[in-house]
Amino acid sequence: MTTTSATPLLEVEGLKTSFKTSRGIVKSVDDVSFVIPAGTTLGVVGESGSGKSVTSLSIMRLVARGGGSIDDGVIRLNKPGQPAIDIRNLDEKSMRRVRGNDIAMIFQEPMTSLDPVWSIGDQIIEAVRLHQKVSRAEAREKAIEMLRLVGIPAPESRVDDFPHQLSGGMRQRVMIAIALSCRPALLIADEPTTALDVTIQAQILNLIRRLQKEIGMSVLFITHNLGVVAEIADRVAVMYAGQVVEEGPVRAIFSAPRHPYTVGLLKSIPTPGSSSNPMASRKLDTIGGAPPDPVALPHGCRFAPRCPLAIDECQKAPPPLFPVGENHGARCIRWPEVSK
Amino acid sequence: MINFLLARIGSAIITIFGASILAFVILRAVPTNPARLIAGPFANDEVIAQVTSQLGLDKPLFVQYFDYIVSFFAGDWGFSYSAGQPVLSQIVQRLPASAELALYAFLFAFIGAVFVTVLVSFLASKWLDRLLRLLSFISVGVPPFWLALLFLMVFFEQLGWFPGPVGRGPAPGSVHTGLFTIDYLIAGNFSGFATALHHLALPALALALGPFGYLVRLLRANLLDIVNEPFVTVLHAKGVAPVSTHFQHILPNAFLPTLTAGGLILAQLLGGSVLVERIFVWPGIGTLVIDGILRQDYAVVQAFIMLSAIIYIGVNLLVDILYGYVDPRVRRS
Repeated sequence: MTTTSATPLLEVEGLKTSFKTSRGIVKSVDDVSFVIPAGTTLGVVGESGSGKSVTSLSIMRLVARGGGSIDDGVIRLNKPGQPAIDIRNLDEKSMRRVRGNDIAMIFQEPMTSLDPVWSIGDQIIEAVRLHQKVSRAEAREKAIEMLRLVGIPAPESRVDDFPHQLSGGMRQRVMIAIALSCRPALLIADEPTTALDVTIQAQILNLIRRLQKEIGMSVLFITHNLGVVAEIADRVAVMYAGQVVEEGPVRAIFSAPRHPYTVGLLKSIPTPGSSSNPMASRKLDTIGGAPPDPVALPHGCRFAPRCPLAIDECQKAPPPLFPVGENHGARCIRWPEVSK
Repeated sequence: MINFLLARIGSAIITIFGASILAFVILRAVPTNPARLIAGPFANDEVIAQVTSQLGLDKPLFVQYFDYIVSFFAGDWGFSYSAGQPVLSQIVQRLPASAELALYAFLFAFIGAVFVTVLVSFLASKWLDRLLRLLSFISVGVPPFWLALLFLMVFFEQLGWFPGPVGRGPAPGSVHTGLFTIDYLIAGNFSGFATALHHLALPALALALGPFGYLVRLLRANLLDIVNEPFVTVLHAKGVAPVSTHFQHILPNAFLPTLTAGGLILAQLLGGSVLVERIFVWPGIGTLVIDGILRQDYAVVQAFIMLSAIIYIGVNLLVDILYGYVDPRVRRS
């Protein structure tokens, strides 16, 4: 990986994002902090509804569309050699220059992420011409070049294709081509492989890794798949009920997890032979219970109702993030007793 | 694209033939004897037999149909006994009046609905949206003949802003298209153009309001669907400005049903409107047809059915072609 400079590319401190719903205010993201050093990948894992996607949409400042608002916290983008950008307080016009240019995003649903009535070439050209002063012909050349870069065969002719003529994997490649066309400093990938076949998943992951090296960008990779995190991330943040419950280097998270939820997630990864030969392997573990109701969160530790290690004290006060190792934190008062 | 076009034109021709058979059979099935009607109540059997053979009504049905199709394409659309002149010349006289009224009503409805709806959805104001829904609700429910009377009472009688029920106003000196506004423009006579438009305004608006409300409701619902599509979030994430997102992406995606409905509305309007034409003394085709039906002047009715079919099919063909331009998925399939 590239050398880590003193100031990380992205700093998120105490982020709080909430949504108004008919049942009350949902604190989707509640006091989330992390940093992403330049050129590195942060994997964010967690169940559905744990606040992963809302965190990424907050960084893009796109939560208002869904009725959400960023209530507190700092989101700072430090591009090398340039003044820091305070994303939360940026005016909308400047924010549009950040979106797609400094921070680009790819989404979970490649089948519905492209405009069906625009050719894929035009959709790349649109992104290029928004952020760079180039002619249409140059932008078209750039689009073909990007399609070649993401591994679309015969890009000179496919550039005029429409989304419905492409498979899901090909469309996700086009999405990546759009996202990377302006060489962003940060790529946010929100479950980019979830909707794809397993073989295509591996191709897309390799593609993101390769392009990351070529462009030197940072990646915020959101997934619920720990296997994918092990493949791609330098650091991991585990989210539960709107909070980061454990954060650390990928090696430490996998070998010495210090939060019972992380342990539960690791145990629920299926291993080869787990079902075909029950005599030879362990039963697949699950985490009992369900995530808490977002409008009525537990007062103390949010995982306590499902936690095998929970004691009375866990219910009393929300636990802080304890430093449990080098660059490794866990939100659990019994962290020394947690082990795999 | 050529194949697409040829296929559509081919099916259009087949549909027109289907309509011609229908028009022919229905009018032959009516119990009235046209020869008796033409010859009058005091004619004897000999005269009626003579008229029957003159009209070719004694020939077998399929021969009659064949004769009818041949003469239809030769420009002989039959003879209107009640008006004492060929049907075609009657229609040629009256069609431009209906067509001009229909085109203006359509333009008011279509452009007005698209403009207002897109603007309101772009502004994303809850109050404007509620107002628009109320307006569309009312306009769909109000019958055009009632509206026509109301317009005359308010804008002619009370305020005097618009001419009364006097038809199309003074005709232009030279006829090119038969549409007064266009002919005045061709002649460079702008005050004539304004007068013609002045006469058109009330009947066109009365006809336009219903279709306007319908199109507003349709387009509004489709826009709301598209606004929530994931690709719109992607566009925001690319840094595309809201104006471009709305007008270049959301609108084209939401527009197809409105285009289809617009085509049907135009075709319907071109067929003439009986009540509004009557109220404004508009020398259009609607009046002609009603008279034709009441007097059982079957040549007129038959010609009108064929004309409506051709207009419907022609407009739909046009819509199909436009569809291909708006949505690449239609073009390629």
